[in-house]
Amino acid sequence: MALIELETEGRPLLDGDAADQLARRLRATCVQMAHIGGEGHLSSALSCVDILVALFDGWLRVSPARSNDPARDRFLFSKGHACTAYYALLAAKGFLDPDLLCTYAQRGSPLINHPCRHALPLLDMSSGSLGHGLGMATGMLYVLRLSRADARAAVLMSDGECNEGSVWEAAMFAAANRLDRLVAIVDVNGLQAVGRSDQLMGGTSLAEKFRAFGWASRDVDGHDVTALRATLNAVPFEPEKPSAIIAKTEGGHGVSFMTDQTLWHYRVPSPDEVVDALAELKERPLFEVST
Amino acid sequence: MRRAFADALYDLAREDERVVLLTGDLGFGVFDRFQEDFGPRYVNVGVAEAQLIDCAAGMALEGFRPIAYSIASFATGRCFEQIRVAVGYHDAPVVVVGAGGGYTYANSGVTHHAAEDLALMGAIPAMTVVAPGAPSEISSLLPQLIKLDAPSYIRVGRYGEPDYPATQPARLGQARLLRDGTSVAVLTTGEVASEAVEALDALAAEDITPTHWQFHTVKPIDIAALDANAQSVHTLIVVEEHFPHGGLAAAVYAWAAKTAPDVTIKRLGPPHELALGGMSRTELRRQYEFDAPAIAEACRAAWLKKDKPS
Repeated sequence: MALIELETEGRPLLDGDAADQLARRLRATCVQMAHIGGEGHLSSALSCVDILVALFDGWLRVSPARSNDPARDRFLFSKGHACTAYYALLAAKGFLDPDLLCTYAQRGSPLINHPCRHALPLLDMSSGSLGHGLGMATGMLYVLRLSRADARAAVLMSDGECNEGSVWEAAMFAAANRLDRLVAIVDVNGLQAVGRSDQLMGGTSLAEKFRAFGWASRDVDGHDVTALRATLNAVPFEPEKPSAIIAKTEGGHGVSFMTDQTLWHYRVPSPDEVVDALAELKERPLFEVST
Repeated sequence: MRRAFADALYDLAREDERVVLLTGDLGFGVFDRFQEDFGPRYVNVGVAEAQLIDCAAGMALEGFRPIAYSIASFATGRCFEQIRVAVGYHDAPVVVVGAGGGYTYANSGVTHHAAEDLALMGAIPAMTVVAPGAPSEISSLLPQLIKLDAPSYIRVGRYGEPDYPATQPARLGQARLLRDGTSVAVLTTGEVASEAVEALDALAAEDITPTHWQFHTVKPIDIAALDANAQSVHTLIVVEEHFPHGGLAAAVYAWAAKTAPDVTIKRLGPPHELALGGMSRTELRRQYEFDAPAIAEACRAAWLKKDKPS
């Protein structure tokens, strides 16, 4: 697979089949990385893969060549525990050498379990502690506007992350300051570490909550790359308002025995489970495992 | 102090377009001129300390120099997580400003006391921690913190604190000699320095002449100044308006544990307990025996000891 061909900024997007193939390949990569690294969170990683594909396949104005360009878009991967998906995407898009993927969560690797800017400076934030990405993005956009840079910022959060009060402090600020270059994408996989988000949030709607905070929001199928792209392309949904995309997903999507299981928040796949998962995904990981 | 802070901030903002002030809905009237002249570089985030800091960190990562202002107890305690992660972990050059450290807001009750702010901020690896004692120290230190290009915390007092004369300017990271003397050294941090100035003024009439060092920078602590004092005096009297953990005295004890200096160390300051009862700061300093009369008494007691042989 010629990785550089996937770098699409300003170029035609992957068609539906190619996007689906890339998503399956990223999922296979996540499973293999989780096994090698001995770290879990596969449920959360597999749920956000299609969102990452939609963001990086044409919407985000970023590329490996312009990481120091102040006008490039910012991307805050706030649900840091799902980092295998992000690392896999970065490798597929030419930001990372795919050979690094097999070092995930090993001593000295730039691919720390929970992304760390000290190890991987191309990141826009270090994450792992939930509820920081949205607030940090508001600060970035506020001063980028002062500098008259027309960069946008996308923040990928989890639904469990929206338990954090800091998310709503940031939401209030973003609306009050009319940060319409901000898009928050909530990966609503419905699962938290030891419970279901719906139950923990009293069955309330995230889309309505964001609207009540002065945002424009839309619900979308978080595994439909075409629908996700169309939604992203409609940002800002309303003039002078930040946009929230409430992306309904499945935890562990793409692997039947991992789907919608709280168990797979933490579980590390065994060698047999890796084989079964890759067979279902019908794709190889982005890197070869030396045996 | 607050006027000196507002003026220093204004001057910095005029020189450097990267300076942005964020407030957690506090500082009534303090920043009027700033707001008037710098418009959107004044940002009221509301009563939302987590946002105050996460937002400031985002600004800092884009090359700006945000100054995040709230009451000391809120600026350090409510958003410790944000300071630890978004500022500390990201090495984001944010200046966190705690208005009214220690017992500045004593009458407002325990929620407004900040006797652990230096400990909290000092616990974060990247943080420089500063507690100025006089308006002129704020004016000198704030620009140095902006130039530092790293996370920092500064305590800012209220209005009308006295200034004190000193032969040296305030240099970040260096203890400041406020009065040269012999045998006994009084080490202070923060505004309680003025209690020591008053005590030493009174003692001069009794021919008791201790040295007075103001440790406006609590972290990193000025080891060279401590080493020099260990050579020249027999007693160090440490005065702080802070819990015994993680403040100036704790730093001095840590230094002493490492170097085993030939000095006696005495701490004056509040114990590790909540200051209940609605006392004023003056009353608290008296009750906990770290006001000017208590400092003078501690100096008298120490003075009776033999001079250090030279």
